[in-house]
Amino acid sequence: MDASRWAKRATSIAGLLTAWFLLAAVGPELLPGPAATAASFAEQVQQSSYWDAVVASTVRVWMAFVIAAVLAVPIGLLIGWNAMVGDFVFPPLELLRSSPPIAWIAFTILVVPTATLGLPVIGIIEVENIVFIAFLGAFFPILLNTIEGVRGIDEEFSRAAASLGAASWQTFRHVIYPGALPSIHTGMIVGMGLAWVNLVAAEMTGVGGLGFLTWSAFTGGSYPVIIVGMVSIGALGYLSSAIVRRAGISQIPWQETQAA
Amino acid sequence: MSRQDTDDRKSTDDRKSTDGPLQNGQRPGSERAQGGIDGEALVEIDGLTKIYDPGGADVLAVDGLDLDIGHNEFVCLLGPSGCGKSTVLECIAGYLGPTEGEVRVDGERVRDPDPSRGVVFQENRLFPWKTIGENARFGPQMRSAVDDDRIEELLGDTGLDGFEDAYPHELSGGMQQRAELVRLLANDPDIMLMDEPFSGLDAMTKELMQEMLLDIWEEESRTVLFITHDVEEAIFLADRVVVMTARPGEVKEVIDVDLERPREFDMVTTEEFTSYKERAIDLIHDEAERAMAQAEGQ
Repeated sequence: MDASRWAKRATSIAGLLTAWFLLAAVGPELLPGPAATAASFAEQVQQSSYWDAVVASTVRVWMAFVIAAVLAVPIGLLIGWNAMVGDFVFPPLELLRSSPPIAWIAFTILVVPTATLGLPVIGIIEVENIVFIAFLGAFFPILLNTIEGVRGIDEEFSRAAASLGAASWQTFRHVIYPGALPSIHTGMIVGMGLAWVNLVAAEMTGVGGLGFLTWSAFTGGSYPVIIVGMVSIGALGYLSSAIVRRAGISQIPWQETQAA
Repeated sequence: MSRQDTDDRKSTDDRKSTDGPLQNGQRPGSERAQGGIDGEALVEIDGLTKIYDPGGADVLAVDGLDLDIGHNEFVCLLGPSGCGKSTVLECIAGYLGPTEGEVRVDGERVRDPDPSRGVVFQENRLFPWKTIGENARFGPQMRSAVDDDRIEELLGDTGLDGFEDAYPHELSGGMQQRAELVRLLANDPDIMLMDEPFSGLDAMTKELMQEMLLDIWEEESRTVLFITHDVEEAIFLADRVVVMTARPGEVKEVIDVDLERPREFDMVTTEEFTSYKERAIDLIHDEAERAMAQAEGQ
């Protein structure tokens, strides 16, 4: 990207900061300004409780994302590829999707157990029940985009593969899967964003993490910490999405690259 | 744009180098022309009828079409748009089942797509997620029988050497069509089914592609069914031009083209060529008018 575009972007962010500064100076008495927030931030990063919250939220969101991707991509590929699988598997998923993940919080905390998974290489990990809420946020966008990705592949690619001697599973491997990748990638970026949204909401119920840090600052009346929480969640969310975007682009080198 | 330039230059240079030995070598062209008439047919189409059913309204696309294609014969199906040419090809490829009638290849009834019946699509269907090299290897790779020398030879013959690692979208339209031809030839099909493969190319590139296709066809023994609505293209390429009627598609007339081979593009201005062309245009004109009336009626 050229320098003038960076300059424009930097200017617009400087504008936002200035507006915040002015609003804090003349506006509502309780709104902390940039300076107060920065001071609070400096204080927070020296406390282990802040870093515990950062680690807790980050681990939860990535667990949710990985489990969602590992389940949603194969299920979505099968639903999109095979009409019969689609008819059997998709309707119940559509029903479950009709309740937004946040509506699942009470149910999850009461009913869903914290699971212990034994994984090869990684070893034993504990998946807290709250991860399920973030998982729901990520699962459906990845699933729906995977299905769309498969259905959007021109039938002539499958025909071409068949006429070149590809068996059905080879068509799946060489046409359906790679053909759906760009759409899967989009679903993952959206899914990561929604995993954060839903995790933060779920954490506010009192299970630690940055969501809880922000919420307890509200109940404790420490206004700058609320903004520190908001900014931290925003930064980590942005970073997570950037990682997913980058990793995805490396998997689809054949796509004409678009500006980030 | 610079890619396009190199593309054209490359193919012209390439042609010079491959033309020489071909012109001096034996030309089994005249033998081939008769192959379809005397020899046993490779493709036998008996009373092919296809009815489409888009939302309840039955559309009769092809009505009782009979056609035989001989071994090593080059046949062009010529007809106005929407006359069911592609439907015939799709039935031979095994993508569609006939509503009535039968298509047999090598005596066996066609049921599914098969690598012995290769297809080149109108809009190229190279896999965008695979490089040119990976596309070229696709057919043999499915049978775990990749012959790298053969792939390299084909890429070289079509002026695509050096583009193995490029993705299709990085190539010009003409290069993409050549790459698709390579992918097909690497699979060594008995018959090549080509559905208006050059219709999206500019006039210059189209001529070069036609000559290249004839070079390949004359060099290796192949059977080709080539669909087009371009009269000149049909006569230039074919041993036999099968003129189809407007929908529902039937065979209106078959023109045996006895122009000598190898054919070069300056041939299209000769009197002999022109008389074939006039005849074909006469035949197709009424059908094109009918097709247009149908299209307006819809």
